[in-house]
Amino acid sequence: MKRYSRLNLGTVALAGTLLASAGALRAQESPLTAELPALLTSCGQSPGPERVRFFLRRLELEHEFLEQATAQDLIDRRDAGDPFKSIIIVTGASLKGMGAAGVSIRDELARTEALIAEAKRQGITIIGAHVEGMARRAQGAAPGDNSDELSIDAVCPYSDLLVVRQDGNEDRRFSIISENSDIPLILFEKNMELGDVLRRVFNR
Amino acid sequence: MRAGSGNRGGRALLVRKLVLGGLGLLLLVTSGASFYRHRHLQEAVVLSPGVAEVKKLSEYFDGIRGTINDCNLYFFEGEEPGATVLVMGGTHPEEPAARLAAWLFAENAVMEHGRLIVVLSSNRSGTTVTRLGGAYPANFTIPTDWGQQTFRMGDRWSNPLDQWPDPEVYIHYPSGQYLAYVDIRNLNRTWPGRPDGTLTERTTYAFMELIRQEDVDIFIDLHEAELQYPVISTIVAHDRGEELATFVSMMLSDEEFNIGMEYSPQNLHGLSHREVGDYSDAISLLFEAPEPFLDATRGKTTREQLLTGVDEFVMKAGEHGLLFERIDEGGWPIDVRVGRHTSTVLQTMESWTILNPDRPLSCRGVPRYAEVIERGLGHWLHDPSKAAPGRVVTE
Repeated sequence: MKRYSRLNLGTVALAGTLLASAGALRAQESPLTAELPALLTSCGQSPGPERVRFFLRRLELEHEFLEQATAQDLIDRRDAGDPFKSIIIVTGASLKGMGAAGVSIRDELARTEALIAEAKRQGITIIGAHVEGMARRAQGAAPGDNSDELSIDAVCPYSDLLVVRQDGNEDRRFSIISENSDIPLILFEKNMELGDVLRRVFNR
Repeated sequence: MRAGSGNRGGRALLVRKLVLGGLGLLLLVTSGASFYRHRHLQEAVVLSPGVAEVKKLSEYFDGIRGTINDCNLYFFEGEEPGATVLVMGGTHPEEPAARLAAWLFAENAVMEHGRLIVVLSSNRSGTTVTRLGGAYPANFTIPTDWGQQTFRMGDRWSNPLDQWPDPEVYIHYPSGQYLAYVDIRNLNRTWPGRPDGTLTERTTYAFMELIRQEDVDIFIDLHEAELQYPVISTIVAHDRGEELATFVSMMLSDEEFNIGMEYSPQNLHGLSHREVGDYSDAISLLFEAPEPFLDATRGKTTREQLLTGVDEFVMKAGEHGLLFERIDEGGWPIDVRVGRHTSTVLQTMESWTILNPDRPLSCRGVPRYAEVIERGLGHWLHDPSKAAPGRVVTE
């Protein structure tokens, strides 16, 4: 009995993300809407983009996931006549992820800086995201490791919209960036609410 | 005069030698008896009504037959068809929550959809020894509703009695990557194994044959980790398992406890989450739960610490920001650690079913996180003396 209730919970959570009526969603419109196709990438090679990609796939939102997207990727798509209209950069660093990719946080910061510069040149909407809570902030970092915070600083102040899981903002880190730089901030509480946030952002 | 003095000195020396020799012999006998008892402690498994068959690993690769690692395989056939999932405990037998979580499946699970294969002692050799010089307890006891049940404490590596000597450098097959010499006895550094290799390599090769021959869809390797290790409270996923692991991680973090997801590095070899996925069609996942007993900064190396996870020295390390998981006066009790694993396995089945409704997996009878904490894991360990004939096997 208990098992079925839990299975239903998962089904309902997913179905709620995928099947909720458009009318209900319009009542909670995003402070900024973005267009598709979207480029999904990471600054810091954390697994956070997988969470975003999970919902982009389920919602059938046209996107491409490039773990190490570069400015050249944006140029190539524009030259091919199918430019990205928005870019989602997921912040938070993983030493394991960067080690596996053979890059350092410095490489990540340089790549991201160039990516954002090209996105701004092309007028692409930049969405800075932090979706793993405090585990991808100080709580998950080794002593002296500030790569999570460096990735946030590299992306969030230059974004057009911030999407953040609420517990990652317990020190108001993202609220302060939002207020100081006048960037709209969407906070969500539960992981499974992220799908609804993305649907609102992309007006689907 | 001088000759008498010499005789007395010679006698004293002889007495000293005899006393020291006797003490040495006493140490040899008592420690030998302890090692023997450890190696031969019989652990009873009361088979769940859902167990259709118990096989031996050697049925999948003859090269393991007759060795200590020819372990039991518990097969559960679903009432309805579906996918096949393999849950493995005992890769590192010094991580008891991994074995005990698998134990709860072996004694309680009933599959409704799909097939389940459970392993309790994937490196059985490693259950017969503890870390050399580490003064680990040889066993531990879990209170049950009918009394108590004692389990072997183990090591991270195969017993040197079963595989020796170690090389200067361990060269992993087939990648050729150089690994620490001792890891040639580490079951989670020898995947995918080789048929003519060491005992540990032959063991992983046998498991690869099991996975391939039984068309396993999901392979789950249960572990525990020290709090000073960054890969903790997480699911490590092979490339093909990232979507499933992400879904499981999000669901559990929303509803039960915080658990992350990490990528399996493509250039780190010998680990199950990499090699099982690369050398079979199975999705490979590895679950990590916190175990303060493994932390180098721990205080007492006792049974109590092993089972409660309470340790003021590990807490102190946390105060200095040296940990990757939280710890307080409550520690990390074994029920919490086991409950994390049972819930994560069950959630994996449920999330898989949502993503693959045409090949479902569903299981009843196994408690989730909150239930294990509320009633204690011993509630789900059954009395072998009350079991039906033929429904008890030993590990």
